[in-house]
Amino acid sequence: MWTLPILLLAVTILLSIPLSRYFAWIMEGRYRAPRWLAWFERHLDTGEQDWKQYTVSMLVFSVVLFTFGYVVLCLQPIAPLNPLHRGILAPSAIFNTVISFLTNTNLQHYSGDQHLSNFSQIFFILPNMFLSASIGFCALSAIIRLFRGQATVGNYFVDMWRVVAYIYLPAAMISGIIFMHEGMPMTYRTEQTITTLETGAMGTDAQGHANPQNIIVGPVAAVIPIKMLGTNGGGFYGMNSAHPLENPTALSNFVTTFDMMIFPFTLVLMYGRMLRRKRHAAVIYSVMLTLMVVLIGWTVIFDTLRPNPAFTGNPAAHSYTLPANGSAAPAQRISVPAVAALPVDQRLGNLEGKELRFGTSAGAVFAAITTDVTCGAVNAEHDSLNPIASLSPLTGMWLNCVFGGKGVGMINLLLFLIVGVFLAGQMVGRSPEYLGRKVGAREMKLAMIALLVHPVLILGPSGLFAATAWGTKAESNPGPHGFSQIVYQFSSASANNGSAFDGLGVTYGFNNNPSPAPEAVPLDIATGLVMLFSRYLPIIAPIAMAAFLGRKKIAPVSLGTMRDDTVTFGLLLLGTIVIIGALLFLPVAALGPLAEHFGPIPFGG
Amino acid sequence: MMRSFKKSLLLLLFSVVLLCGIYPQILWGIGHALWRFQVNGSIVNGPDGKPVGSLLIAQPFTKAEYFYPRPSAANYDGTASSSSALAVSNYALRDRVARTIGPLASYAAEPHAGQPVGPDVEAWFDADHFQGKSGIVAQWADAHTGLAQGWVGADSTHADYVNLWAKAHPDIVRQFIHDNPGTPKPAATDLAVVFFEHFSTDHPGRFPSAVTHGGADGKSVTDIEPVASGSDIQSIFFDMWRTDHPDVALQLVPGDYVTTSGSGLDPDITLENAEFQLDRVANQWARDLKRDPVRVKQEIQAMLRAHAFSPGDGLFGGPLINVLEINLALRQRYGAPA
Repeated sequence: MWTLPILLLAVTILLSIPLSRYFAWIMEGRYRAPRWLAWFERHLDTGEQDWKQYTVSMLVFSVVLFTFGYVVLCLQPIAPLNPLHRGILAPSAIFNTVISFLTNTNLQHYSGDQHLSNFSQIFFILPNMFLSASIGFCALSAIIRLFRGQATVGNYFVDMWRVVAYIYLPAAMISGIIFMHEGMPMTYRTEQTITTLETGAMGTDAQGHANPQNIIVGPVAAVIPIKMLGTNGGGFYGMNSAHPLENPTALSNFVTTFDMMIFPFTLVLMYGRMLRRKRHAAVIYSVMLTLMVVLIGWTVIFDTLRPNPAFTGNPAAHSYTLPANGSAAPAQRISVPAVAALPVDQRLGNLEGKELRFGTSAGAVFAAITTDVTCGAVNAEHDSLNPIASLSPLTGMWLNCVFGGKGVGMINLLLFLIVGVFLAGQMVGRSPEYLGRKVGAREMKLAMIALLVHPVLILGPSGLFAATAWGTKAESNPGPHGFSQIVYQFSSASANNGSAFDGLGVTYGFNNNPSPAPEAVPLDIATGLVMLFSRYLPIIAPIAMAAFLGRKKIAPVSLGTMRDDTVTFGLLLLGTIVIIGALLFLPVAALGPLAEHFGPIPFGG
Repeated sequence: MMRSFKKSLLLLLFSVVLLCGIYPQILWGIGHALWRFQVNGSIVNGPDGKPVGSLLIAQPFTKAEYFYPRPSAANYDGTASSSSALAVSNYALRDRVARTIGPLASYAAEPHAGQPVGPDVEAWFDADHFQGKSGIVAQWADAHTGLAQGWVGADSTHADYVNLWAKAHPDIVRQFIHDNPGTPKPAATDLAVVFFEHFSTDHPGRFPSAVTHGGADGKSVTDIEPVASGSDIQSIFFDMWRTDHPDVALQLVPGDYVTTSGSGLDPDITLENAEFQLDRVANQWARDLKRDPVRVKQEIQAMLRAHAFSPGDGLFGGPLINVLEINLALRQRYGAPA
């Protein structure tokens, strides 16, 4: 039960320490590549850039990658490696998907096994996963260099190439080899066709012949390593890491989970190393770790150690009165009947939507971690989690800094940190400072813009969709859970996470699909825009903030300086995150998962 | 700006060559040199040497001689993985599970220990009283509009049956249109609840079900008729029976026997689930082979023990059985089922 999460955390923590040394070594440019490798760097180098040039390069490259992705997806019907003759996706689905993979979100409004050819998997999914993950990585590197007071922050293109070639690629290769050994397909074929052992078990066709079972295969073992390492999360198959060919065994699940944790863990330590503030980084690391342990424990306790309440009994009937709504409607009496328990053995916890081969608590552990590190891969159906347990994945996305995505999670934490030192400064009546530099009004404004983008882009669209047919027609579950589905979708989009309550009708499918999900187009467009803004604003604003902060003089340490490498500072940071997070999101939590948990189960007919 | 654009294109070009060409090709080479079985989808061959399935992908089994996999929200379609995505609070989830349990539920305590619940559910249904009120079917349709409509939409013969009824009762349909001005031309599904309410009064203790008769010309004919027994009664109304009998001790059904997996393709079941199915499987093989059921059961039990494996060697979870693997072993040992 607890062995899996404990082992996962222990291995990740242990390996993140030496890896952070390697990451820092690469990003400081101390690695002298052999001539043939250095050739690439030399051709990409445009010289040292200031923060504006670096940011502009990042944006220009994003536009190029966006265009490339668009073209590749549009080419699917005429491109090779498409023996099943898959057509072109609907325009809104392409728009959503291209943004989704550019922004490292990997929210999938399509189903990989049904809608993509191997050409699209290789030429759209693969490069996007490597490159979008590297963008966040580079943004953090730039911020670190700015905090050090450097006027120039290195070269964006060289940074990108180093991250891809020296960091992601070797790690992906090692993971891929393990995954293939465990049973992940790695082939350019599309499909295996078999006749079932029990003849006709898949039904028969019009002529009375037994139907075969067709199984989609492909270059799965190439996609999945970077899907996890880059905290991308977009599955080769529709059901992502729950699919047996995308996650064949308990070991592959362990490595999969480890892969998505290791880089976000390591980057916090890299931050400390490159700034020469290791103790400060250790404090941040501990705060994140504390939050993660709580969130993992929460899902395990409420999902693995509790039965699915759909099958348990509720012996007492009770009723309550709805007060009169205005003068017209009289007071209503609502009665909730007693419910008898179904005879289901639930010793293994809530098994709806869970796979068995990963281990008892694997679904719950994965659900918490994937949302903490903004990966968004899933190895269980989050829609079927016990409602109270689903608070943990939602909280992970709302806070968005429990390690968070590569680079971006650390950046988000910096925003909370700046707000934290500001609050502390207000309390003791000193002007706030970070890394010895005074935090002024301009830095605070930039931090607040970046911090507020997230709740605004979750709560605004959620409210709009919950109030209109755009949302209500897309919900697949009744009552508060339907609302939770909408909130989850926008939380996932804004946190650049990509996991979902899968019941929500978001799939348009191919352009010629006669019966798409009715509200797929507004959901495609809205989540697409949310992903775009909530990715780039919280990257650009903090880079600017770091640039302004880095220019200031370092004040000498005095008795009155607030030290940032103490337990007190850790508690201050933790408190800031929890209080701001709770203030922003407790109301929607109450309307969604909490209402479902405390309300009648089953809810309605 | 122009310079950034050029370098962006160059970075993209380098990346595409490296990530879309070289990287997958290296993995492909390693995989095909070392683990051909795995990288092609873990396909196993049957007794006649033809591929019968992937060890990693669940396939359906319906014959009593075989162990059943977990139910699948994807209908075991290897091209479209899917979960049920049913929320805990969605009655559809509880209903699906209750329907699976109904026909195989049995008493856990004396004096009826081990006996099936089904006949008692039918007797209770025939008496037509739920929570002290008469008209079980009407109460069912009123409480679960979606399920009633689901029944009508599930099969064209169901819709035909309702349409036939509607034609015979124009006054009721007129009243429905009067009460629901939003649906001036009600389809069969719209009329579901009204239909069941009247059906309940006209045929107390009955439910419309498919019945197959041997026709005069030797061909069998399937009709919808009011019936008082059968799997429809035992499955659909088990949950209501349970509400009337909340304290009767019943044998527990393994959780994974009734829940769908995340992918709909989970190839495994728990060992408890396999043992839960063992009596059925062993008795059926014994009947096919005309052998002593006790001996067959012992043999299959030993096979289960030999094939059981645990996630992470027991570190992460309890013993599991790969359904295709065990059924293939049964097929190889005992031949084709009758």
